[in-house]
Amino acid sequence: MTALVLALIVGALFALGTFLLLRRDLIRVVWGLAIISQAANVYLLAMGGIAAGTFDSVPVLAGHDAGAPETADPVVQALVLTAIVIGFGMTAFALVLSYRVYEEHDTLDVSELGDHEG
Amino acid sequence: MIPMAAVPIGTDAQLVIAPMLIVLATAVATLLLGQRPRARAAVSVAGAVAYAIAVAAIDWYIVLAPDAPGIATYQVGDWPAPFGITLVADGLSAFLLTMVATIGIASFVFSMRVLPELDRRSYYFPLFHFLMLGVTGAFLTGDLFNLFVWFEVMLMASYIFVAYDGGPQHTRAAFWYVALNLLASAVFLLGVGGIYATTGTLNMADLAQRLAEPAAYGIDPGPVVGLLALLLSVFAIKAGLVPFQFWIPTAYRAAPPQVTALLAGATKKVGIYAIIRLSFTVFAGAQLGVALEIPGVGVVVSGDSPLAFMGAALFVMAAASILVGGLGAVGRDSLEGVFAYSSIGQVGFIAIPVAIAATTASPDLRHLGILAALIYALNHTLAKGLLFLSVGAVRTATGTSRLADLGGLARRSPPLAIAFFVAALSLVGIPPLSGFFGKFLVFDAAARAETVPVLVLLLVGSLLTIAYATRTWNRSFWGVQSPAVEDATPDSVQVAVLLGLAAAILAVGVGFEPVYRFADAAATAALDSEAYVDAVSPTDIESLDSSGGGHS
Repeated sequence: MTALVLALIVGALFALGTFLLLRRDLIRVVWGLAIISQAANVYLLAMGGIAAGTFDSVPVLAGHDAGAPETADPVVQALVLTAIVIGFGMTAFALVLSYRVYEEHDTLDVSELGDHEG
Repeated sequence: MIPMAAVPIGTDAQLVIAPMLIVLATAVATLLLGQRPRARAAVSVAGAVAYAIAVAAIDWYIVLAPDAPGIATYQVGDWPAPFGITLVADGLSAFLLTMVATIGIASFVFSMRVLPELDRRSYYFPLFHFLMLGVTGAFLTGDLFNLFVWFEVMLMASYIFVAYDGGPQHTRAAFWYVALNLLASAVFLLGVGGIYATTGTLNMADLAQRLAEPAAYGIDPGPVVGLLALLLSVFAIKAGLVPFQFWIPTAYRAAPPQVTALLAGATKKVGIYAIIRLSFTVFAGAQLGVALEIPGVGVVVSGDSPLAFMGAALFVMAAASILVGGLGAVGRDSLEGVFAYSSIGQVGFIAIPVAIAATTASPDLRHLGILAALIYALNHTLAKGLLFLSVGAVRTATGTSRLADLGGLARRSPPLAIAFFVAALSLVGIPPLSGFFGKFLVFDAAARAETVPVLVLLLVGSLLTIAYATRTWNRSFWGVQSPAVEDATPDSVQVAVLLGLAAAILAVGVGFEPVYRFADAAATAALDSEAYVDAVSPTDIESLDSSGGGHS
């Protein structure tokens, strides 16, 4: 059940991110990128899986008498923390950059920015 | 970790992390010295020299010395692999580090000269060192997620460099570049997450070990072929292989030329390195029946490891790169435009022997393919680095780099012309320059693989190289001096850097024997997964004593 919900959420986030990424407004593009990187983070969390807690994998559970609860993989959580920090920094940078683009071009419309090659 | 008597200070394990620490310390120190331009410049120079010494020490004590171990590892924080992050320096890492250090130093000296006084107060030098840090970390890490982190470090610095001049075209180019790479980072995470879910580890040595014996670890390695394809697309974006080449012309034109030299010479090679390291050292051992039919053509790609798939994909991408890059370069009307497209084509030349190595069954040919790719990459770094730096020198001297505004530079500045000429000839592949051996080995690998279409493709690519090199030379260096050129006064230090690189190209060609031995060691290291796994020696998680810990 959890797997299905997670899969649906990841899929919906990627779809929404892609949709925003393809908009003409630069700010929406940044939003799209932010949502796609969050979708990747949720996916990464889901990849750790949920396993029955054992005393071997989680030593602190040895103090619990009535059976160990389910546990999530801590490795992916550490990875996601790093990825969130990087994604946060890059989103901030992309927002500042889009403001600079606006200052230089007086527009945030992707099709008006054009793609000239010199 | 065996202490080596051969290393004068510390152990060979400590030597592995030395270049990273040096460049990190330099970056932070230059960041703090923002208000003191002189001290900052002095720290920058000291850091660059120390970095070069550390890389040279790795080359000698770990790879080239007669009693060298060939590979050394550093377990960060003394956490045993696969729990902690492992840094690994072997022949492949050392070869690429040396290459990047060479172009890095040249670009650094050039930057010192080209920047106006005001810019020395800005964040140019800290960024420069952070870019080098990202590249160095990517070459040394032995952990897949850590590779992602170093990619990001490298990219963050390069984003700002693309936007550095702050004009309309620079900010626009930077935005496309950032958007594309953020997307690529998300794809990288997808690949990393999938590989972790499939194999239960991200340590490269542990991965290689588990994939070689999936049954012993109870994993089903099937999904890694697709995940490797995801990673290949990320690395192809960094390397600029078609169909992921579209960002290169705009970004390379927007960044300052001395940084473009570094982007073409160093960050591109990180993409190539990651492809070689992951395909050959890590994933080559996986025994997987691969049979994919390419829709429409009816050709079936098959083999018994993910390499077959990688090789087929690389062939297509490399072939398209050679054609797109070569044809694009012939029609450009500015120096950096020509060289940006030329970079796309040249990466195709590097990827072809990698593809040959991935698809062949013969160990000798596989070794030759990697060797050819490395020698070609070395030539590309030196020659293309020189050419991009010469764009900077021409711009400093004349204020333009448009072919229409140039002409007759050869008479105005013969030393600049000589350096440019050497690099152009090396790109074409004329003996005795380094480019000759690169081209020769690539053709040799293609001939031994007995693939006529590939040979024809390489010939066409070489002809296109001759065409655009000649055209660029004729338009900018020969002919009547244009008004911009008549008033030009090239900077002597800049020209000296160019001549130094030209001398390096000549030296690599004339004294090719030691370079060949180094590249040979690098290719051997790239293919020797067992030595890599032994050196890292990941702890077997199942074998850990679960009653230990003492926290009960």
